[in-house]
Formats: sequence, structure tokens, C-alpha cells
Amino acid sequence: MSIILDHVNYVYGDDTTLAVHALKDINLVIPDGQFIGLIGHTGSGKSTLVQHLNGLIKPTGGSIYFNGEDIHAEDYNKKKLRSKVGLVFQYPEHQLFEIDVFKDVCFGPKNLGLSQKETELRAYAALKQVGLEDEYFYQSPFDLSGGQKRRVAIAGVLAMKPEVLILDEPTAGLDPKGRDEILDQIARLKEETGITVILVSHSMEDVAKYVERIIVMNQGSVLYDDVPKEVFKHYRELEEIGLAAPQVTYIMQALHEGGMPVRTDATTIREAAQEIMQALGK
Amino acid sequence: MGIIRTEQLVFEYIRRDEEGNVEGITRAVDEVDLDVEQGDFVAILGHNGSGKSTLAKHINAILYPTEGTVWVDGMNTQDDKDLWNIRQEAGMVFQNPDNQIIGQVVEEDVGFGPENMGVPTEEIWERVEESLKAVGMYAYRKFSPNKLSGGQKQRVSIAGVIAMHPKCIILDEPTAMLDPNGRKEVVRAVRGLNDVEGITVVLITHYMEEIIHADKVFVMDKGKIAMQGTPREIFSQVEKLKELRLDVPQVTLLAHELQKMGVNLPNGILTVEELTKELLKAGQSVK
Repeated sequence: MSIILDHVNYVYGDDTTLAVHALKDINLVIPDGQFIGLIGHTGSGKSTLVQHLNGLIKPTGGSIYFNGEDIHAEDYNKKKLRSKVGLVFQYPEHQLFEIDVFKDVCFGPKNLGLSQKETELRAYAALKQVGLEDEYFYQSPFDLSGGQKRRVAIAGVLAMKPEVLILDEPTAGLDPKGRDEILDQIARLKEETGITVILVSHSMEDVAKYVERIIVMNQGSVLYDDVPKEVFKHYRELEEIGLAAPQVTYIMQALHEGGMPVRTDATTIREAAQEIMQALGK
Repeated sequence: MGIIRTEQLVFEYIRRDEEGNVEGITRAVDEVDLDVEQGDFVAILGHNGSGKSTLAKHINAILYPTEGTVWVDGMNTQDDKDLWNIRQEAGMVFQNPDNQIIGQVVEEDVGFGPENMGVPTEEIWERVEESLKAVGMYAYRKFSPNKLSGGQKQRVSIAGVIAMHPKCIILDEPTAMLDPNGRKEVVRAVRGLNDVEGITVVLITHYMEEIIHADKVFVMDKGKIAMQGTPREIFSQVEKLKELRLDVPQVTLLAHELQKMGVNLPNGILTVEELTKELLKAGQSVK
């Protein structure tokens, strides 16, 4: 089961003089259980792309298949699709509104028409999955810290039991610890449930640390689609399109140029440390 | 006395429940003494809720101290007659560029501040030109702000502040919403203001790499200043920073890990160049 994008095109304002070709012939297969990083500079088409995956935007050309079915076929159940492909927007805590945390998380499953018991079970499970302690369940979501609020918002999507979880910059504005906590939590969730995760991020260090596949968008097209090591080999090209590689990539490159016998494709601190220790003969 | 000085600054706010009854008092800033010299580049770090934004809002009199005093260029922020002078001397830039731009055209937006100060029209245009040039956005002066990238918009916001000829500029997480390139543009523009124009900078950020060139770093925790020093002094305390929910640049962390594994390296390495040089030296001695 998977998501398939087949020659997807999207043009904003197609019938006007200001038409913008936001997605150009996108062909992607997103199989079950992958942890994918989606990167690209502001305006590269990342957000437009993820909004296609749960049918919020209809492509102006091409087709999107979820589990083998065309999501824009006439009799396709979009509501069900949206519970299966959960989208967490940027600053999702701005969408919290209920009087307590638990009610807020119940909102999604309740709207799926589930029984009260099932709704509450799911809300409880989802809050546990994001690592929120019981003591916060009956507090107003507005009294929580930024990181906690964001976890409540993510739980609200998880309570719909999605098969695919898309997070648009889930760590923007969080302090480093809060950032690590959220990403660790998501990585654990992925391990435990086998959910597909698509992480939209501006942090190359985070992407390198967590994902198994990186899709790089540039001017509406997919520029690279590969494992992190391969993608970050193109660090010069990435810089040209407003991105970068993790800092360790630059260190390894500089060491190599300076004559140290190290491989240059390390993307995380652990890999880099191992490689350097070996070269130093320790 | 420095350009920005706080003495035993305390800020408390009252928490209320839905009916408006008092639930308790939160002390967001707790007896902070800060002294920033004219021309300094100062960074403030701290986890979410540590009080750094609350502190920053005292510097241009958006908030007033519950106890203690704040002086900006010798003016007490609680002195009503100096309010507009303080706001003009200490300009502020916030996180979201879209909330700060009001003009339909870039140059109009930048002119808004000086216009409100009653600057003569001709001088407004001069100021707009020099401000946009200072942040590298002059070529975009006729653009509509919504045609710009996040980093460009944020630089326009900064130009809008410097058109008021402030002595210092306070930036509260100006790069939180930007992509790597946008972050680089903004940080470069801010460093330029400090180096070339001599404007005092107070930068609040969660990105450790952005402040390795700062003159001084303050780390806040629970409303207090928990650490202060040069970037090298601060970033050599990796474990302590982690306890405070913070981090160090990836280069510094790698150096720290290598140290733990027995490689002989100086503390607080901040740049790729430094680490490379040290490691190549270590590599030579092995041979």
C-alpha cells in the first residue's frame, strides 16, 4: 500500500495572467513505513506538494493514488482519505481551541463519527504516543508550553489513526531540547506503529539524523530523491538552491581536502566521530 | 553606563482563570542585571519560557518592570516623556515577517517609521535608500512585499527599524521561520549593521550557529541569567547547556564527542575551520 503521484502538475491561477507553475511533473512513490524528509527553500513547492497528498489541493494535471485508488475519482471518499493521511500544519498549536487538552484531541475522532468510548480511547492513546503526562489532560491547552501545545496538536491528528503522518516544520520556534524531544517522539512512534512519516524541514541536521530518504524540491520539481548520504554529496548544488548540508559534511570535506584519509559522506555526528577516530588510528 | 542597562529587573504577571479570578503570580523575569555597551553584539539564549522575550520587550518599553529599572541610553523606560525617544532608539524585530510589514511597496513600508516620527519627506527618502542598501534590499524597493521570500521580508523589517536611526536593535528569533538561505541572509545583514554602522545588536535565537561571532552571550533560565560569557566560554560547557535545554553548534558537539573519545582538542571550538585545523594537526602528530 502506498501513495503514488503520477505526472502531477499544479498551476496556481491557471486562467489568469499571473499563473504560477507550482508543481512540475512530479512522479513519486511513497511506500508504507518510510521516514521521509522533504526539503527545499521557501517557495519551492513543498507545502503545495503535501497538500496534494491528502486531497486538499486537486492537481491541475496528473493523478494521485492512495492504496491503489485515484483520490480524485468521483466516488472516492475524501473524508476517509483525510483521516488516513494526517497533515500537521506549521504552528499547529494555533489551531487548538477546546477548553481542555483531552477534548481537543477528541475533536478529530469524534468527527469521524466514532462512538464516545472509541473516541476517548483513541485520544488517550494519542496523547500517550506524543509523551504528554496525564496531569495535563484536563488543563486548558493555552496554559501549556510551546512544545507541549505542539504535541497536543500532533496528538489530535494521531487520534484519527492515520497511516501517513505529514509534519510541516514541526519544530519551528522550539528550543533545542523541545526540538529533539518532538523528533525523538516521532521516530519512536514510527518504530512502534510502522506509520509512514513525511517530515518537511529546514534543518539539514535534523533531516540527516532521522530520515531514511530525502526528497529535495526546487522550483516545483523534484531535484534529488535518495538516501541522505547520496543527497548531501551534492552539497554545492544544494547551496545554489538556498539549502545546505549538515555542518559535519563540511568538516569531513575540509578534512579530506587537508589530506586526512576520511570518507566524506558522514552526515551525523556519530558517523563523523567514528570516521575521524579511525583516521587518527585510535 | 552602557546603552542598555537593567538593574534588579523583575517582571511578574498575574494568571487568571476563566472567570477572571487570580490563580497565581508568575515571575517571568527575576532580578536581572544586564549591561550592554554601545556597539556590542549581544546574544540571548534560553529555552521556551525562560523569560528572554519578556526581557527583550522591556528594552523598548512594550513592558514595564514590576520591580527594578531599565535604562536605554540613560533614559528610564518608565518615564512617560521619553517613551517615543526610547522606541526610536531601541528598535525591535519579531519572529514572523508577515506580521511586521504593512506597506504595499517595500520602500513605503520602510518609510513608515520615519514618517511617523515627523521626518521631512526628502530625508525620509534618503533614509529609506540607505536602510535598504544596508540590508542589501535596495534592488527590491519597488516590489510588493508579498512577492518576497521570508528572508527578504525579514530584511525589509530590519530596514524599517534602521530607517528610524536607532542606536540599538533587538531581534526576537528573527530567523525561526526561515529556510537556511533566509537565515544566512538575515544574520549577515545583522552582522553588517553591527560591524559597519556600529548599531548595538541584541539577538535572541534558538540557532546556536548564528551567535558564534557575538561579543557576549547571556543564557536565561527561569527568568534569571544562568550563564554569561563569550561564545567560546559558553559553548565549551556542553553538558551545562544541555541541562538548560539548549545545544551547541554541530561543530562544537563533534569536537566535544571527539574529546570524550580521547582526542586532544581545545575547548569550545566554534567553526569548521578551527576544528579542521586542529584535527589535521592531531593527524600529523600520529604520523
